[in-house]
Amino acid sequence: MSNNINNHNPFYDPTLKKRHLSDKIFKYMAMSALLISVAFLLVFFTDIISKGLPSYKQAYIELPVKYNTETVADSSFAIDEKHYELVSRAWYRDMPKYVSENPEVMNKTPIEWVLADDEVDQYMKGHQNTLTDEQKTVVEELKKQGKVESKFNTLFFTTGDSKIPENSGFLASAVGSILTILVCIAFAFPIGVMSAIYLEEFKKDNKMSQLIEININNLAAVPSILFGLLGLAVFINFFGLPRSSALVGGLTLALMTLPVIIVSGRTALRSVPASIRQAAYGLGLTKWQVVKDHVLPLGMPGILTGSIIGIARAMGETAPLIIVGMIAFIPDIPTSFTQAATVMPAQIFTWAGMPEGAYIERVSGAIMVLLAILLTMNAVAIYFRKKYEIKW
Amino acid sequence: MKKSILSIATIATLVFVGCGDKSNDKNAASSASSSAAVSENQIKMVGSSTVYPFASAVAEELGATAGVPTPVVESTGTGGGMKMFCASNESPDITNASRAMKAKEYEECKKNGITNITQAQIGFDGIVLAQDKSSAPMSLTRNQIFLAVAAKVPSKDGKSIIDNPYKNWNEIDASLPAKPIIVYGPPKSSGTRDSFEEMVIEHATTKDFKDLYEAAGLEKFKSVRTDGVYVDSGENDNLIVQKLTKDKNAIGVFGYGFLEENSDKVIAATVDGATPSSDSIASGKYPISRSLFFYVKNDRRAAVPALDKYIALFMSEKMIGDRGNLKKLGLVPMAKEQRDAAIKDVMAKKVLNPSDLK
Amino acid sequence: MSTLTQNNKRRVLAEKLIEYALAAATGITILTTFGILFSILFEAIEFFKLQSFFYFMTGTEWTPGVEGAKFGAVPIFTGTLVITFIAIIVAVPIGLFTAIYLSEYASKKTRDIAKPIIETLAGIPTVVYGFFAAITVAPFIVNSFASIGIEASFNNALASGLVMGIMIVPIIASMSDDVISSVPDHMRKGSLALGMTKSETIKFIVLPAALPGIISAVLLGLSRAIGETMIVVMAAGMRANLSFNPLEDMTTVTVRIVDALTGDSAFDSPDTLSAFALGLALFVFTLILNIISVYTIRVFKEKYKSSNL
Repeated sequence: MSNNINNHNPFYDPTLKKRHLSDKIFKYMAMSALLISVAFLLVFFTDIISKGLPSYKQAYIELPVKYNTETVADSSFAIDEKHYELVSRAWYRDMPKYVSENPEVMNKTPIEWVLADDEVDQYMKGHQNTLTDEQKTVVEELKKQGKVESKFNTLFFTTGDSKIPENSGFLASAVGSILTILVCIAFAFPIGVMSAIYLEEFKKDNKMSQLIEININNLAAVPSILFGLLGLAVFINFFGLPRSSALVGGLTLALMTLPVIIVSGRTALRSVPASIRQAAYGLGLTKWQVVKDHVLPLGMPGILTGSIIGIARAMGETAPLIIVGMIAFIPDIPTSFTQAATVMPAQIFTWAGMPEGAYIERVSGAIMVLLAILLTMNAVAIYFRKKYEIKW
Repeated sequence: MKKSILSIATIATLVFVGCGDKSNDKNAASSASSSAAVSENQIKMVGSSTVYPFASAVAEELGATAGVPTPVVESTGTGGGMKMFCASNESPDITNASRAMKAKEYEECKKNGITNITQAQIGFDGIVLAQDKSSAPMSLTRNQIFLAVAAKVPSKDGKSIIDNPYKNWNEIDASLPAKPIIVYGPPKSSGTRDSFEEMVIEHATTKDFKDLYEAAGLEKFKSVRTDGVYVDSGENDNLIVQKLTKDKNAIGVFGYGFLEENSDKVIAATVDGATPSSDSIASGKYPISRSLFFYVKNDRRAAVPALDKYIALFMSEKMIGDRGNLKKLGLVPMAKEQRDAAIKDVMAKKVLNPSDLK
Repeated sequence: MSTLTQNNKRRVLAEKLIEYALAAATGITILTTFGILFSILFEAIEFFKLQSFFYFMTGTEWTPGVEGAKFGAVPIFTGTLVITFIAIIVAVPIGLFTAIYLSEYASKKTRDIAKPIIETLAGIPTVVYGFFAAITVAPFIVNSFASIGIEASFNNALASGLVMGIMIVPIIASMSDDVISSVPDHMRKGSLALGMTKSETIKFIVLPAALPGIISAVLLGLSRAIGETMIVVMAAGMRANLSFNPLEDMTTVTVRIVDALTGDSAFDSPDTLSAFALGLALFVFTLILNIISVYTIRVFKEKYKSSNL
């Protein structure tokens, strides 16, 4: 009966069911696209965290240590033969220095916690390792007596790169990153904001300004590695700035970040309504006074948002820095802008190429720290945007 | 008004900081020593990726024990290192090399007034071919390896040069197993690849098959085949080992040090009847091995006091000796006498004699 | 009175000075572009003095580092394109559907949660993506295909492509989101009033209207993928392999640039100079993509300028 009515209804579309079904399918497809991103992030973070968390622990062994003139001369005698190979080479290396700083231990044989070799550490964590069966029994023995323990890996957070995996940390690269980013901000932020002001408030609409506009849009999409070639040619070869330094790295990254800041700065300035400018002009202010006292402060939150995102990206950038020599073995914590430095992404890159499992663990550990910093920066930017977003 | 002047000043400073940076830098460039003065006493070195791990280890040791800034080691490749080293009598102070300096490179140095150079041999680098431990160990000759991996090989009748047709080992020599040839090795960028090409392929094309290759216009031919039999495996040697344990037929190419470290997983093939070992490499009995060097500008030793300490540490028994730290990292030490002679020459700042170079 | 005119004069002068300073700052971006071009161009010209440009563009053999080295970049270009193609296949549907969901379906609350998720993807450094591709994705692909009896290289193009695709999802999603949102609402309402379902409205009205903007987003994603370096340096191969099989190892323009500049070859050799020739190709190619992209987005803006008012 009802069918009959529908058949006579001129507006009835017999494919309606099908259309509604496809409507639903479409909606779920759109939703699932978002879910794929979420799923990727879940897998990604689980993977990185499960690989990286162990790096925050490091095995130590409790052993009697012989401190006397003989062992200070050759520290390999300080530990008994049976346990000799289980102790880190870094410990043997630093032992004489430790004694000279703590002379009271001389001629004593205290029982101390000493840094274990990375292979012992990997064995303790149940990872692949190169310990021989014999060494494994010794470690098991120690384990039963509670003489081998995974402790918080302070070294990882307080030292620089090292060829001894258990002795390596990312502090030097983190400081390098900070110095590099400071240079980048000092250069890119003022120039970026100035350019944005010029393009939005001052420039005349002519061919030249159109060219500048296309140029900036283009620059924003130039592959980052090409900025590295530029940095090498201009800052190192032409200006003679020291290779591998935070100064060169920061300037290179600044040129890369500049278009991002300009584009977001312009958008922010553009969103300030014309009425504000007109009112200010009406009070007799000059153009610059209008910009400086009214337009710029109102646009600042937007400019900051864009700048933070751009700078966060620069902080995660690696490719151009390979070309300017920041991928090198630089374990010392840099203290000046001209000193050789490496950055966190570069440290991640070099460790990722190392054969030892302990480095792979440290890569993930360093990635966690880097991501924490970058995502915090992004969150701050988003917060800025939300808090100061003005609906005109 | 005051405020606007202030803001002009700020903007102006910003601009001048931007431009000023550059003008300062120009000054720095014109008197290059002033820019170097900042990081004086920090040794900078460049060069071979093969020597890089050894140099970094010594650098780290120096930084940790001698109270001087840790030297900076950059891996630029032997050629790139030589280029930077010879560019001026300033930094870099040292270049690492996986071969002796070439006469052409010395000329470049000389042109820029750098002749007071000392060559330091630090030991050997051996390249091994290894399989998964469960496989039957292969014994190969250097020429068999050449026939397996070269892009172009002599034809069976020995009259012409053809694209490498071999897919199975027994096609090369009936005594070899009937298994497909599959070789995982380092990429073009790696020092190990360089030495492998030079010591296996170029060796064959410039010695045993020299006439044939010259006749074909392929002097000093050393290309590895690119038809998928030789697989570039990135810089991560661990990945090669993973592949070997998965593919029992595969052979991996890597440095001797890595073999020692993974002796529980892989086993080396003998080459020309010699098993790779420290002794067979140092004595030259194992054929795929080469000498490693670093070159230092003696004039820089005065300007950078840490340089002497670094050299002394590097050339010590503690590092390059029979039980030295670098051995654990894969360096094959020289024999005692050779080592002592090398140490003596370096410490005496013996100047590089150009007529010794090729 | 006279002090006032003096003040005015000073003011005018100051204003001019400021304007010049601002213009000078803007000039730096121009200098940067020329700087990039020249720092590549001269060395690239050196390269083409030694090697044939024609063979570079059409040759199929890339064998640096040997006597009689050949520099035919076709296998490198195809490697780049295969990886980029995989990335686009991944990124366009995910990015576009995400944008559609965000702008057409999602409630404000969902948007507030979803946007930061997409921005998180954009915030992950490429070196981290590269590590993930090399250490997790590539072995996973090799093992999965091995279980059905297909052999894949550990440096397979698929791993780099997939991860790169995820990397450019946020670019496509957020740009498409912007253009879809700026399609005037009366168009949607008109369509709905005529009895179209929501999905039909999106498919037949909104998307065609937003198409130039979406194309521009895809082109931008494409140029990002082509120029991406770290993911491929860490996860893709080194071999110039002329193949279209994504399970094989292949190399890209950026990988060869890094390799040539950090490898063991001499600095003035064609091996090293080839980096600049490849850099030039990369620059020109991304430039063309960007210009097309800028042009299409302009078309889009022109189209809706009047209707938005």
